[in-house]
Amino acid sequence: MMSGRPLIAWGGPLALLAGIFWLSLFSWSPVPIGSWQAISALLPGKVSVLSQALVLNLRLPRSLVAILLGASLAVAGCLLQTLTRNPLASPSLLGINAGASLAMVVTSAFDPSWVAGYSIALLAAMGGGLSWGVVMLLGRGWDTAGDRSRLILGGVAVSALCAALTRATLLLAEDHAWGIFHWLAGGIAHVRWREFWQLLPFSILLLPLAWLFASRLNLLQLSDDSARTLGIRLGQLRLLVNLVVVLLVGSCVSVAGPVAFLGLLVPHMARAWIGNDLRLMLPIGMLFGAVLMLLADLLARAVAFPAELPAGAMLALIGAPCFIWLVRRRT
Amino acid sequence: MKKPALTLAILLMLVALVLLLSVRYGSETLSFADLHRALQPADSHYFALVEYRLPRILLALLVGAALALSGVLVQGVIGNPLASPEILGVNHAAGLMSIGALMLFPGLSVMWLPLLAFIGALLAFALLRLAAGNSAPLRLALLGIALTALYASITDYLMLSHPLEINQALMWLTGSLWGRGWAFVYVALPWLLLLLPLSLLLCRPLDLLALGEEQATTLGINVRHAQQLILLLALALAAISVALCGPLSFIGLLAPHLTRRLVGGRHHWLIPGAMLIGALLLLLADLLARTLHPPLELPAGVLTAIIGAPYFFWLLMRTR
Amino acid sequence: MMPLILTGLSAGYTNKPVLQSLSLALPAGRITALLGPNGCGKSTLLRCCARLLTPQGGEVLLGNEDLASLSARQLGQRLALLPQQHLVPEGVSVQELVGYGRSPWLNLFGRMGTLDRQRVQAAMEQTQIAQLATQQVCKLSGGQRQRAFLAMALAQDTPLLLLDEPTTWLDINHQIELMALLRERQQQGRTVVAVLHDLNQASRYCDHLVLMSAGCVVASGTPEQVMTPALLQQVFAIKAEVHPDPVSGRPMCIVL
Repeated sequence: MMSGRPLIAWGGPLALLAGIFWLSLFSWSPVPIGSWQAISALLPGKVSVLSQALVLNLRLPRSLVAILLGASLAVAGCLLQTLTRNPLASPSLLGINAGASLAMVVTSAFDPSWVAGYSIALLAAMGGGLSWGVVMLLGRGWDTAGDRSRLILGGVAVSALCAALTRATLLLAEDHAWGIFHWLAGGIAHVRWREFWQLLPFSILLLPLAWLFASRLNLLQLSDDSARTLGIRLGQLRLLVNLVVVLLVGSCVSVAGPVAFLGLLVPHMARAWIGNDLRLMLPIGMLFGAVLMLLADLLARAVAFPAELPAGAMLALIGAPCFIWLVRRRT
Repeated sequence: MKKPALTLAILLMLVALVLLLSVRYGSETLSFADLHRALQPADSHYFALVEYRLPRILLALLVGAALALSGVLVQGVIGNPLASPEILGVNHAAGLMSIGALMLFPGLSVMWLPLLAFIGALLAFALLRLAAGNSAPLRLALLGIALTALYASITDYLMLSHPLEINQALMWLTGSLWGRGWAFVYVALPWLLLLLPLSLLLCRPLDLLALGEEQATTLGINVRHAQQLILLLALALAAISVALCGPLSFIGLLAPHLTRRLVGGRHHWLIPGAMLIGALLLLLADLLARTLHPPLELPAGVLTAIIGAPYFFWLLMRTR
Repeated sequence: MMPLILTGLSAGYTNKPVLQSLSLALPAGRITALLGPNGCGKSTLLRCCARLLTPQGGEVLLGNEDLASLSARQLGQRLALLPQQHLVPEGVSVQELVGYGRSPWLNLFGRMGTLDRQRVQAAMEQTQIAQLATQQVCKLSGGQRQRAFLAMALAQDTPLLLLDEPTTWLDINHQIELMALLRERQQQGRTVVAVLHDLNQASRYCDHLVLMSAGCVVASGTPEQVMTPALLQQVFAIKAEVHPDPVSGRPMCIVL
């Protein structure tokens, strides 16, 4: 618990982020990039060398998207866990990822040219919102006094349903199957500046918004009755939080495909690091999320160099054992 | 609530009806006269009926019942109506094993897949027990979910690195009854004839477990032993099903749920009822798979998902 | 006759045990009440007696047998428990639920014989729910459900009956009936142990009282021995006077 030592509490993750960001710019590249060239490419001035061009056009957007992705998913996870008072809630376990993916796959099977721009992010968000709604109703997510596991199991069931329908669509749309399938594994290898600009408005808008509501969200950790008598408009707040979560996840899925485990693990890491206060947890979560995503992407490049593993698979390889450890500790 | 016996009788009749329809319809429709003649080896329809349709629908009957039963057992142990055999990780592990083998040995005969899938399922269970230790069923379920995510990732990676085999792999991963002949039925029959009656002995322990672990303990059941035995049985049934037909989802989730609505919670009605509904679901899915768009055949696994979707929404309506 | 003897019992839910080296002898063939403020360990004690909790130290002897050495089935034949909270499955009728109580006596196939059916019917009549026999348990009111589960415990027909706060959901007339029922069981030679909240009810209907506080037994004996102003002050931090109940003659406490 680092709440008493702000320098380490904040400085540590920031330093780590900076370090990994720098590493991601030049390491494990098929065309060698010098570590100093990576920095010099960022500074204003003419881009003369190929490696510097690579950094500016490939590595930089990729790393920036990784940061936004990690931060967004981490915050989405924190919000979900607070909303449902369930420590195992996360976008992938609750079916939001699966619903968003399904929406995108169905759309692209109809017409691949639709898979671009802001409209696709909103489409993914709608798909995610729909499956999320189904899960919440099935799993009685509002009834937090009851069986916690019901929500998770409902999420698994709906995710499985979406996955089956996704596979069905893939089978029927054979010619597009390869491209979609690659995207379904979750990763940022294909990311360029276009995807960055696609993701940025959502993150820039929603992350500070979530943080503004943090103090009210803290009260969500109490029972419904207590929160109401403390002056919270419960219905409104919940609706807003749901909207923020669905938009964050939808925009991330539309850029990088469904990425699992970030939204589940980072809130726990943030809680262990800085405590339960969402006003601190959210920013720290953003830092940790960014670090984790960059790390996963880095390892995904390193493990099978010069080929690349999808970053989503890497996260699953790290995340699944962590999840197992988490479940063993908490139940 | 209707008398359970009456409900079971109606279900039995429905199964018989769908059996008959399955035999008649497909890529070509056989009239009753055709059916009668087709039993002779010399007849032109002999192949379509005896070598193609009959083993397939028998398998659908057996596997549908087995999956439904597996679902009842898992729900009885985990104590949650949203639990299903998929949680044990069996489907994904079996899929991983098969895909892995297909990738590593591209010329591998399809006949090996059932065995590999079965081994994969057993390994998954061993891994799950290792990770969970002797813990409560709920923790087991959550760990199963974690492991499932792991297997799915590895499978995805394998498929991505071998793009040529994707369509074939996708077919296997969805589960279907295509190309399943008498050999598959002969493999399934002895196992299921053994395991299905065994499960009837578990009716009382399952009923008592429904009262909660504590009450079950004071009523004279060794709760942990009972839970482990039941899970093992559920696993065996699910593993055999996956080995024969690939991973078929939702039967293990829907059939027990649906049956509970119709006949209540007592297992000596629930078990036969669920088996009938499971058989019905799979027979229906296979029938639709063959007749929706002939001669193209959709995998039955796709149809179980499509049947599953409206059911979920119906569940929602009821919850409100 | 089944005396319940606990020696050196240490038990709890985490590393810090709720009960520490507790020794207690509960008389056979009597009704014993476990009393004490919240958190004193009376439910923990009861659960140890039902072997729902594995003690970290010490042993529980039922009759002459160590509780830990009994098989699950033998346990079900020696003691029955009415817990505080019930998990109610759907689609089960009252008669079927009470029938579950016969499980420890049935063979592998679970066939109920004439004796089993008689016990089930008698249990339902004693708890006055015979007219609800075909109704679904999940549709009953809290009090009716409590009586159904009580009937299940009675149908189990064991020498030892344990009850955890059995009067919680019941109207006062049903509470009196329950206590009268326990008195009948005791007169048949069974041992009854119940966790109760109401001091005066315990004093009036039970033969033996155990007063607990902070995981220890403060006093154990007849109502006359245990219900004293000094002990009540010590355990419950109340000032009370104790007078004989005008109807039963048992000690009755009146809080000042």
